[in-house]
Amino acid sequence: MGGDHRAFLDATMPYVDVVYQVARHAAGAGQDPEDLVQETYLRAFAAFGSYRGENTRAWLAAICLNTARSEARRRRRRPWEIPAQALLDALPMDRADEARDVADVVIAGLDARAVARYLAELPEPQRLSIVLMDVAGYTAREAAEVLGCPRGTVLARVHRGRRKLAQLLAAAGVSNGRP
Amino acid sequence: MDGHDRLLAAFLAGDLDRAAAREWDEHLLECEQCWRAVREDRAGRQAAGLLRQPAPDGLADRVAFAVELAAVGAAAPHLPRRTVRLRRSWLAATGAFAVGLAVTLLVLLVPGGRTGMPASVAAVARYAGTMPPPAHQAGLATGNQAAPVAVGHPVTMTAGGQHITVRTWRLRGTEVVVATSGQPFPMPPGAQGTSGGGMAWVARAGKLSLYCVNGRTSELVAAPVPAAELAALAARLPLA
Repeated sequence: MGGDHRAFLDATMPYVDVVYQVARHAAGAGQDPEDLVQETYLRAFAAFGSYRGENTRAWLAAICLNTARSEARRRRRRPWEIPAQALLDALPMDRADEARDVADVVIAGLDARAVARYLAELPEPQRLSIVLMDVAGYTAREAAEVLGCPRGTVLARVHRGRRKLAQLLAAAGVSNGRP
Repeated sequence: MDGHDRLLAAFLAGDLDRAAAREWDEHLLECEQCWRAVREDRAGRQAAGLLRQPAPDGLADRVAFAVELAAVGAAAPHLPRRTVRLRRSWLAATGAFAVGLAVTLLVLLVPGGRTGMPASVAAVARYAGTMPPPAHQAGLATGNQAAPVAVGHPVTMTAGGQHITVRTWRLRGTEVVVATSGQPFPMPPGAQGTSGGGMAWVARAGKLSLYCVNGRTSELVAAPVPAAELAALAARLPLA
């Protein structure tokens, strides 16, 4: 295995950032997303010798989710629990300047912390689909591979989840970072 | 979700053929309910996009380092130690290598290492064992008073329940590891106390010499030099 680590790093290191996006929302309460990324890579490295897949970043995301699940079980906590305060603290306070072109939609000006709060309220399948596609930038096909479901199902979950998220934010009157 | 919504999701994903997409375009001009669904989808996507955050500086290095260590741990039982040295140069060179790097992996690697050696001491020895051999051996104990130069950034790790910060110094061609902990490093079997009450001890671990001084903090110095030279090296280092 030792001789493979260069090949492993070459194949996987380009995806640290996207795995981190997944880890931030998959880490359970008390679990550090950076630790989760590291553990994901160590598990992936251990399995790299037998890995024959074609989509490395989808493979890494699947390992990340499974690792988070294992950790949640180990801690005997509810899987996929958003690390409430830890996550909120880690989020930027105000990124309203990036919320361009929202005049014609329900929400004008968004606070990332509020988004995280309401994203956490979505059902897990919708939430994970949104995290993979809209946060981490996976394609629907990749997300389907990660989650083990048909691509159309992922698209439907993402659509439902986005609408629900927008409705929650609108109902809360989230605007300019001040709900 | 009904078939209509599934079609809308497919339309938004660009999955429909040109004719079907044109039909949906026209439908959206007429149907307020579907148009609201489109706007909400767009708003939700934009909102979720706000959650993107770049990975912290140093995370990639931390991950790569952990994998390197795992590779060493896997190879160590089968290969001579000198063949499994980590490529530390790139670690030292990278500016993104975060201060306070957490390498808890070492905890997992240590138990298979040095029989009977306390986990925290073995972790430091394993880390120090990745250092290149001294550029030259002569004149370490006496003579030139060159100042030590820090190599890379501090690394933090946890071994045997002991939180340890490891710094590396280069002094006249020799790299020396200084591990600092709030808890005393336990004396390994075969160690010799150099002061009463176990306040200081020396030991050998393979080609490494280990020198531990316990005071306000416990400091473990490790280098691939003869034991007699280690104390002289340690005297030139900025120990606490």
